[in-house]
Amino acid sequence: MRIGVYLCQAGIGDVDAVNLHSIASYAANLPSVEVVRDLGLLPKVEPDAFAAEIRAESLDRLVIAGDTPGFFKPAFTRAMALAGEDPKEVRLASFNAFGASSGNGTARAKSVLACAALGVPFPLAAVPDTTAVRPGTLIVGGGISGIQAALEIADAGKQVHLVERTGTIGGHMAMFDKTFPTLDCAACILTPKMVSVGQHEMIDLMTYSEVAHISGSPGDYTIKVRKKARRVDVSACVACNVCADVCPQRVTSEFDNGIAERKAAYIPFPQAVPNAYLIDAESCTYVQSDGAKCGVCAKKCPKECIDLDQADEIVELEVGNIILATGYDVYDATKIERYNYGTLPNVLTALEFERLTNASGPTGGKIITKTKRVSKKRGEEWVFDVDEGVPPKSVAIIHCVGSRDANHNAYCSRVCCMYSLKFAHLVTEKLPGAKCYEFYIDMRAFGKGYEEFANRIKAEGTFVIRGRTAKVFAQDGQMMIRGEDIISDRLVDFPVDMVLLSVGLIPAHGSADLATMLGLATDDDGWFSELDYNASPTETERGGVFVAGACQAPKDIPDTVAQAAAVAAGVLKSIATGRGLNSRADLALSDIERRATSLVRI
Amino acid sequence: MAIRANPKLIEELETYGAQDVSKCYHCGNCSATCPFSQDPYILPRRSMRSLQMGLERKLEGDLEPWLCYYCGECSQECPRDAEPGETMMSLRRWLTSRYDFTGISKLFYRSWRIELAAILLVAMLTGLGFFLFGLSQGNIHHYDGVNAFLPGEKIHFFDWGLAIVLLVLLLTNCARMWWFTIGRDKSKRVPLTAYIKSAYLLPMHFMTQMRYAKCERKRPWVIHLILMLSYVTMLILIMFFVKRMAAGPAIDWRVHAFGLAATVGLLGTTIFAVRGRIKKTENHYKHSHETDWMFLILLIVVAGTGILQFILHRSGLDMAANITYVVHLMSVVPMLGLEVPFSKWSHLAYRPLAMYFAEIKAEAARAEARASQGVRAPQAA
Ligand SMILES: Cc1cc2nc3c(=O)[nH]c(=O)nc-3n(C[C@H](O)[C@H](O)[C@H](O)COP(=O)(O)OP(=O)(O)OC[C@H]3O[C@@H](n4cnc5c(N)ncnc54)[C@H](O)[C@@H]3O)c2cc1C
Ligand code: SF4
Ligand code: SF4
Repeated sequence: MRIGVYLCQAGIGDVDAVNLHSIASYAANLPSVEVVRDLGLLPKVEPDAFAAEIRAESLDRLVIAGDTPGFFKPAFTRAMALAGEDPKEVRLASFNAFGASSGNGTARAKSVLACAALGVPFPLAAVPDTTAVRPGTLIVGGGISGIQAALEIADAGKQVHLVERTGTIGGHMAMFDKTFPTLDCAACILTPKMVSVGQHEMIDLMTYSEVAHISGSPGDYTIKVRKKARRVDVSACVACNVCADVCPQRVTSEFDNGIAERKAAYIPFPQAVPNAYLIDAESCTYVQSDGAKCGVCAKKCPKECIDLDQADEIVELEVGNIILATGYDVYDATKIERYNYGTLPNVLTALEFERLTNASGPTGGKIITKTKRVSKKRGEEWVFDVDEGVPPKSVAIIHCVGSRDANHNAYCSRVCCMYSLKFAHLVTEKLPGAKCYEFYIDMRAFGKGYEEFANRIKAEGTFVIRGRTAKVFAQDGQMMIRGEDIISDRLVDFPVDMVLLSVGLIPAHGSADLATMLGLATDDDGWFSELDYNASPTETERGGVFVAGACQAPKDIPDTVAQAAAVAAGVLKSIATGRGLNSRADLALSDIERRATSLVRI
Repeated sequence: MAIRANPKLIEELETYGAQDVSKCYHCGNCSATCPFSQDPYILPRRSMRSLQMGLERKLEGDLEPWLCYYCGECSQECPRDAEPGETMMSLRRWLTSRYDFTGISKLFYRSWRIELAAILLVAMLTGLGFFLFGLSQGNIHHYDGVNAFLPGEKIHFFDWGLAIVLLVLLLTNCARMWWFTIGRDKSKRVPLTAYIKSAYLLPMHFMTQMRYAKCERKRPWVIHLILMLSYVTMLILIMFFVKRMAAGPAIDWRVHAFGLAATVGLLGTTIFAVRGRIKKTENHYKHSHETDWMFLILLIVVAGTGILQFILHRSGLDMAANITYVVHLMSVVPMLGLEVPFSKWSHLAYRPLAMYFAEIKAEAARAEARASQGVRAPQAA
């Protein structure tokens, strides 16, 4: 066999992570490799020229190294066919697809290349040994993915420790009124699951907690969890609201995404699990004054369950597997100045609208515009006032805010088209007289029933305009929107009362710290890297560490639930057999080479 | 009529400096951002589309590229880095080469080496010609008077000759522009009244460039206006007042004040542009085509030698002044002779014309709409 290795830097991502010189000389020393060529950053691959080279060197296998996801494979395949060789012998060695962007990038790239040259799929050769596995599982993040995985594992009788950093589980789904495309009531699906998690004897739920330290090795991890002082005894609190009633401190509510306020003594929302209040130390007068002032809630609490002097606590856990289910945050809309989010009061982000339209939200689900309120203490502010607020006569929804945009995030956030359509439905349903416009670039209705859902929304009378809006601005006190309607080939420029920004998804804040703690790779956008996009989308380079839900990549609820269940299956398998995989990240180049060579011999 | 598509149009445009046309996914951000985008002239996305579809003939007849002043806001907002602003710039180069019947423009834009060679050749020939001419006329040690090396009146004669040739070339190109954008389209008839009604637009846009002022940032407009006014002043001075300029030794402030102002304007703005292109301070300075550089360098040499010659002459260094004068002519002739009809400078005619044509076409379309409404109205009643 005579092999030609072609190095292309397209798609190498972090070029500094790999040493191309060292890779090229490694390739040259591999058995049967006759030609090694560096094609540089942006090669022009002419099949004819390469066919000539293949013939001249009588190559019968080509390795395209570095190219992710395989831009040049078609051209090389054609060259192979032109040269009269077997086109199947064009082997892709995509460094990035197999985690060559992190620490040991060069060694990993070499092993990927070696496997391609030997004609062995990398995942077959790079199989780590197995290790013994402890039965407990840690789940980080209590959104729908964490909840689903926790229930699957706990229902199988295995111990789960679920760590959630806010005061309740539920994640983003708990904020929604309806879910696309079925328009099911989100709470009806989620609340029972949340309650089961809260009551399950195999689930040790730690809300208002964060992972502080992880040590150990696959199958045998030691975790330190910081339980932040909740200052309310969860087991005794009856959620009577007395503390919140008497608390003098008001701050914006995170759960309501800033469109309403809560007290320093609060419960994120009435159906929260655990169904108990907590004290927000940062806004609490007592805590901030070192106990000098206030403290009224503790005095008034009928159950005497408030301990304002409680301190954080560190809990140590020993687990075999870790599931990351940290979900997402949304893109900061203030970064896109032309939409004037933050300056025009009735420009709302998607999550704000979710709370506005939610029957259990601050307006009881009434879609109204903000009202100006002037007070001495707080100056001028715009708030949702159920009594004074008027319903908007026209609502514009702008897709792809911060997504598919070279100036922001280049990737598609996957759920925004669909939730925008859901919004359009909610607007037309609740405000029959109002006009609703959707400005989109491409309508990505990719799932089962989604295209039908999109058609239904159009039929309901929403104006669906192809063309992303350029600006939202105010003119003589009226909010205006300007865009190009590409299908009817004209500019549109008209007044609207409310603008909804369909903000994209970004990795949850703090997930980079988790990745560092675990030595886990993330992709260029910060999402946790799975082991193999097609073959092992739930595992990671680190043995015994799994990813579920939106923290791996933007995805909707059905996909999230499916992935969470798949993760649970992997975890349960390792517990049932007592063996789990070691880290692929720790595999040495020589190990992979040895295994690949032995696979060829078979 | 069948529509012909040229599948290689983008590649062709790339030779004029376009870069990422195929990246565009038609979100319309650019057209809605562009301060010049207004029905019926929506830019720049439509041009991106026409390019992607290879609609060569349609593009030839488009006025949109001339309505763009490259404020660059579209390129800044473009989510695909498709550089619509730069595409419009390349389209202007491409259109210039289409309007030019000689084919020289095309050669220049596609190969800066050819343009450079042509400039050098013309410069050499000019230098040689004037040098020999000077020797036949008088003495290199005399700038003016009987024995003058390059006698003013005769040079002036040459000035007019060149002016007429350039005017003829430019007018032919303008006529072709009219044919592509209005004349060729038989489906839309433009009444003569429309031409007359909007005729005032031509001198107005030429002198004020008021459309440019629509850009959010005003500085580029100011710079461009100063540059253009300085040039026009210079041109008028040379064509009509050269005698008074050259007449020494007393200084005629009535003309020299203008001359001085124009010189300062020219040098100042050119230096600003050079600095801008090096440091890429403005959006429209981000991508510099070789022809942009040649144009600027010529401008500087022309202005520099013009002043130097004046100073040398006034200081009594006649020989040095004569030599500088020849160098001055060596830069003026290629600049005017090559840049005005065939290259960047032709936009001095195309831009105002485009705005004029645009208004005429829009007026014609409005008239048509009114007419068809007039027909429909009785039916409705
Ligand atoms: C406006 C909007 C509307 C949507 N509507 C729909 C819809 O109608 N239908 C649909 O299918 N999908 C919808 N989606 C998508 C849906 O929200 C996601 O698919 C789903 O929430 C993903 O669940 P998750 O558990 O992976 O993440 P999340 O819901 O984000 O949950 C993650 C949880 O992890 C916690 N966490 C994060 N980091 C840490 C940490 N370091 N330590 C501890 N805990 C942590 C968070 O507090 C959170 O509770 C919508 C999305 C948006 C933005
Ligand atoms: S002690 Fe803190 S939480 Fe309690 S009432 Fe006072 S400010 Fe509110
Ligand atoms: S902004 Fe960019 S991608 Fe969008 S239409 Fe204009 S050129 Fe195309």
